[in-house]
Amino acid sequence: MRKHDVLVIGAGLAGQRAALAAAQAGRSVGILTKLHPLRSHSGAAQGGINAAVGAQDSVETHIYDTVKGSDYLGDQDAIEFFCTEAPKIVVEMEHFGTIFSRAEDGSLAARPFGGAGFPRTIYAADRTGLALLQALYEHLGSVDVTVYEEWDLVDLVLRGSRVQGVVAYHRRTGELDGFSAPAVVFATGPFGRMYSRTTNSHSSTGDGVAVAYRAGAWLKDMEFVQFHPTALIEDGILITEGARGEGGILKNGRGERFMSKYAPHVHELASRDVVSRAIYTEVLEGRGFPGGYVHLELMHLGKEKIESRLQEICDFCRNFAGIDPVTEPIPIMPGQHYMMGGISTNLRGETNIAGLYAAGEAACVSIHGANRLGGNSLLETLVFGKQAGIAAAAFAPTVPGAEVLPEDVRAAKDRIEGMKRRTEGPTPLPLRAELQKIMEEDVGIYRTAEELTRALGRLAELKVKSRDLRIPDPSHVFNLNVTDALETLHLIDLAEVVVAGALARTESRGAHARRDYPKRDDANWMKHTIASYRPEGPQLSYAPVAYTRWEPKERVY
Amino acid sequence: MPTGELLTIPFDVYRYDPADGSTPRYARYTLELAPHTPVLTALLRIRSEIDPSLALRYSCRSAICGSCAMLVNSKSRLACQTQVGPEFAEHGRIVIDPMSNQPVIRDLVVDQSPFWKEYERIVPHLILDPMHPMPEGRPTSMSPAQVARFEETPRCIACGSCYSACPAVAADPAFPGPMALAKLYRFVVDPRDTASQDRLMRIQPGGLWTCLRCHLCTSSCPKDVRPSERIRDLKEMAIAAQGATERGSRHAVGFKDNIAERGLLNESKLVRQTDGIVGMIGQIPQGLRMLRRKPEILRAPHAIEGQDEVQRIYELLEDAGEDGT
Repeated sequence: MRKHDVLVIGAGLAGQRAALAAAQAGRSVGILTKLHPLRSHSGAAQGGINAAVGAQDSVETHIYDTVKGSDYLGDQDAIEFFCTEAPKIVVEMEHFGTIFSRAEDGSLAARPFGGAGFPRTIYAADRTGLALLQALYEHLGSVDVTVYEEWDLVDLVLRGSRVQGVVAYHRRTGELDGFSAPAVVFATGPFGRMYSRTTNSHSSTGDGVAVAYRAGAWLKDMEFVQFHPTALIEDGILITEGARGEGGILKNGRGERFMSKYAPHVHELASRDVVSRAIYTEVLEGRGFPGGYVHLELMHLGKEKIESRLQEICDFCRNFAGIDPVTEPIPIMPGQHYMMGGISTNLRGETNIAGLYAAGEAACVSIHGANRLGGNSLLETLVFGKQAGIAAAAFAPTVPGAEVLPEDVRAAKDRIEGMKRRTEGPTPLPLRAELQKIMEEDVGIYRTAEELTRALGRLAELKVKSRDLRIPDPSHVFNLNVTDALETLHLIDLAEVVVAGALARTESRGAHARRDYPKRDDANWMKHTIASYRPEGPQLSYAPVAYTRWEPKERVY
Repeated sequence: MPTGELLTIPFDVYRYDPADGSTPRYARYTLELAPHTPVLTALLRIRSEIDPSLALRYSCRSAICGSCAMLVNSKSRLACQTQVGPEFAEHGRIVIDPMSNQPVIRDLVVDQSPFWKEYERIVPHLILDPMHPMPEGRPTSMSPAQVARFEETPRCIACGSCYSACPAVAADPAFPGPMALAKLYRFVVDPRDTASQDRLMRIQPGGLWTCLRCHLCTSSCPKDVRPSERIRDLKEMAIAAQGATERGSRHAVGFKDNIAERGLLNESKLVRQTDGIVGMIGQIPQGLRMLRRKPEILRAPHAIEGQDEVQRIYELLEDAGEDGT
């Protein structure tokens, strides 16, 4: 058994920032990741990180843009804190060694992003996430933190209402072991792999969110799923919003720059949900290219600008779609991109379980409300990762004696061995593919009661099937099927929460667009969805949105 | 949408599981694939449709996480970034092996700890002088020109392809390898770091000069980091900072002087410059063997025809700026 004061699950930006804060507070800190920290999905974020540091910009406008972007579902007190912290967090990352792109005067360069009033997105070429991830990981090397690589999270261990730690599975040896800690931070990222066209990595399977949910943690606003407007039609690989920030335009199959119809003022730079729905509508109404997609054009920007400012995009198009963006348009469609929902926390990262903290995309504070703005997610990982680390470090010494017991480990082991012994039953990957099919077909950009009800029925059948899940490989060495099985079960449970929340919310707000309820309904639905676990399916309740100064208005770009 | 005919492609995939006591072997899987299909997609299809027991690392499938480095037809590549069509056209099949220079855990999964250890050894974080703290509450000022010297370095995704391809790593386990040295370059040129000289001094013995300049790291790098060019930069900086103090750097400087003088190498002089008079004694057996096969090395070297042009090249290079303009 391993023991720490603070244990962080997930080693992306949120997890590492939490670990750094807890270590700086003098706690013994362990980070557990199913990958290597540098392979975390934070590294895939291309565009940038928002902070009002420009002379004409202000924290106030950043707050307003975020509140408006959230379609008034974001908690305004949390958003105020978030935007106020932004410049400080960015400067901190610069001091840790991040290599940001610079303006001529030596200050941090900023680019315009969708939904923002000013160029406010600080960047490092088009690999901002990777530059931040490297700098933070390298800085973390200068403090005392133990990293456990290639461990899959299996269970959160509670005794009474007290957190004792987690049980995890070591890919390399097949060992199951307990990690004892009175304070645990879940920073396990998103769960986009419940969809098949997703910009998320294969590892984005909501491990922490599902494990916390089953242990009794509340999930918030899970029905809000952001579709990124520009995913390569091949395999959903992300083309950053930076492409439109730098002047990229969208054209339908008739060669029309259709965004002028949907967002007459800002065209392609409207908020993501607006652009995604516009593309989807064009294709649905027969104005897409044959096969169902539209074009993102960069050609008019010129070879030099494309290759210097959007280098990664060039590589992506050339390597994964066989397309040269300097001379050809890029075929794109919206793809699942970001989960606004997650483990419900306050702005200190605290959940409804004392000792359990969450941060980053796994958490829902809520900053993004019904729709996240580009450049706000990298910022969220760092701002709230840090807060969760500080809070966990302060809490840990108040509850000594946390201990994961051998029987906790045995319970997890019996479950996995049971799946390995089975000779009949579905295997994980085909089951996951079935789940993805349900979500793509019935829980897309536009939703209706009919489709969502059907999805719930199909998910219930899938859940029954999943009880006979079988691990088709007896080996104890790097047996990915154990991982696949754990992840698939996580995704099925979370999909059910997404659909239940979406069916119940009879309005359209931000990324949640109901064809049968096309209007935002502030009188009845200006509230957060809270889901708690029951074996037969999620129990839904509702919580008020925190308001400070901004009255809801219609969102027009 | 790019379409095209499907190709029937045989994959020979290295399989080894220490848990079942069998010896390594190749398994043949045949798939129907469009030419632009990434090798990773093919391997994932093998996992989901044919044999789920195949072990490999993968995550982002967009060449940014660095998980899926392996040998594709004997070359270190990212599986997600390598298309099956050209590989099949060139080799008639696709052979997949785990990376080299690192022990195999299972199938295509290797133990990368030697690689990570070298990375940790170069102290990959900013070293600051407590007397000169970072500016309070604001970012360090850095001109675009200063950033240009190293803003490409975060392209490295630490996949280990260069480490796998490097013959110096294979020959000398003490050699840090291309990735660690490219990372060292990133810290040496960072204006915020205050230990540049110390870093250069510490890396020299056994580190920098073991590089064979074969450039296999650069040709195998999936992100165009060009580690061999960064190693060259480090060598130049080391000599500029400390003079030719190492065997490797003395050899490099001696080589340059030889050519400047007569346009060709004077072996006995080069050995003296590299190893010194005493060091030459150790090279006597080698010298005698050379003398037997190539007696002309005893003759006093003469300048080659057109030596004046060689001189002009040197002069032009001396006048040129650091960036070669």
